[in-house]
Amino acid sequence: MGIKLTGFASGVAFGLILGWARLTDYDAIRDMLLLRQPDVFLLMMSAMLTAAVGVRLLRAFKVRSVLDATPIAWSTQTSHRRHIVGSILFGIGWSLAGTCPGPLAAQLGRGQFVSLFTTGGVLTGIFIHDRIRVRRQAVVTRPIGEAALVAGL
Amino acid sequence: MTTVLATRAPWFVAGPLIGLLIVLLLWITNKPLGALGGYIEFDEWVTRVRSTLGWRAVFVVGVMVGGTLSAAVGAGWHPTLAYGSFDAVFGSSLWLKVTVLFSAGVLIGGGGRLAGGCTSGHGLCGTSLGSPASFVCTATFMATAIACTFAIAWVFGA
Repeated sequence: MGIKLTGFASGVAFGLILGWARLTDYDAIRDMLLLRQPDVFLLMMSAMLTAAVGVRLLRAFKVRSVLDATPIAWSTQTSHRRHIVGSILFGIGWSLAGTCPGPLAAQLGRGQFVSLFTTGGVLTGIFIHDRIRVRRQAVVTRPIGEAALVAGL
Repeated sequence: MTTVLATRAPWFVAGPLIGLLIVLLLWITNKPLGALGGYIEFDEWVTRVRSTLGWRAVFVVGVMVGGTLSAAVGAGWHPTLAYGSFDAVFGSSLWLKVTVLFSAGVLIGGGGRLAGGCTSGHGLCGTSLGSPASFVCTATFMATAIACTFAIAWVFGA
């Protein structure tokens, strides 16, 4: 229960800030991507730097998480081809729609209802990705048994 | 309060606030912030991969509520199908909007899923945690989006 309540509250805060900073406006994102306005770049960099300092302080002082008292820690990933391919597709979508998953949800809440089309696309895109991955796994694991094949279809 | 929220938050207020939110979420839950995960949970719930929605889906619902609040306490909640200069760039036909935005959404969802994160998950949170993949992803989608937006402006002349 605690984690869902925290998730909801932090979501509300995130949506409020995104809306307040007008990251939900097509033109704010377009002006950023056309390198006309530095605001959104500066916003992202200051968010990242603030978080970078903050999370390291938590780790340095060996702080434990409020909900389950585990030591604050995180894993990092090395980059693979899928990161680059995925991010190229993501970048094209971001440019066309002028939004990305966070601001998109805030757009829905703000009553910018064209975001319903974008949201439908995002859910479909994830579905297509997962379908392709399941199919591939089914092909790979086919000799192991019927179960994997059934799960794949 | 209302008057402050009615004008656009400057980057040096909104940016550090989002940074603090990432720190706070990690402190409370020991989980990294990211929006795409909520959409993934929703898909997995619909396709019965998971039986219940997790906290990331609830987070996205929270973002919607936060968006509503940002409008309500600002200039007011005014539902619309308009989308800024999108209409001037691509045209204002509703079918065109459906086609472009839905296709863009498919690229955002599929590409983000493949890359393991979006602008918030990789761009803000992953980079602040020092994840090499997040730096590669952020540089890639930034460069792609900038190039693509310039190309669109050049082709459509808007």
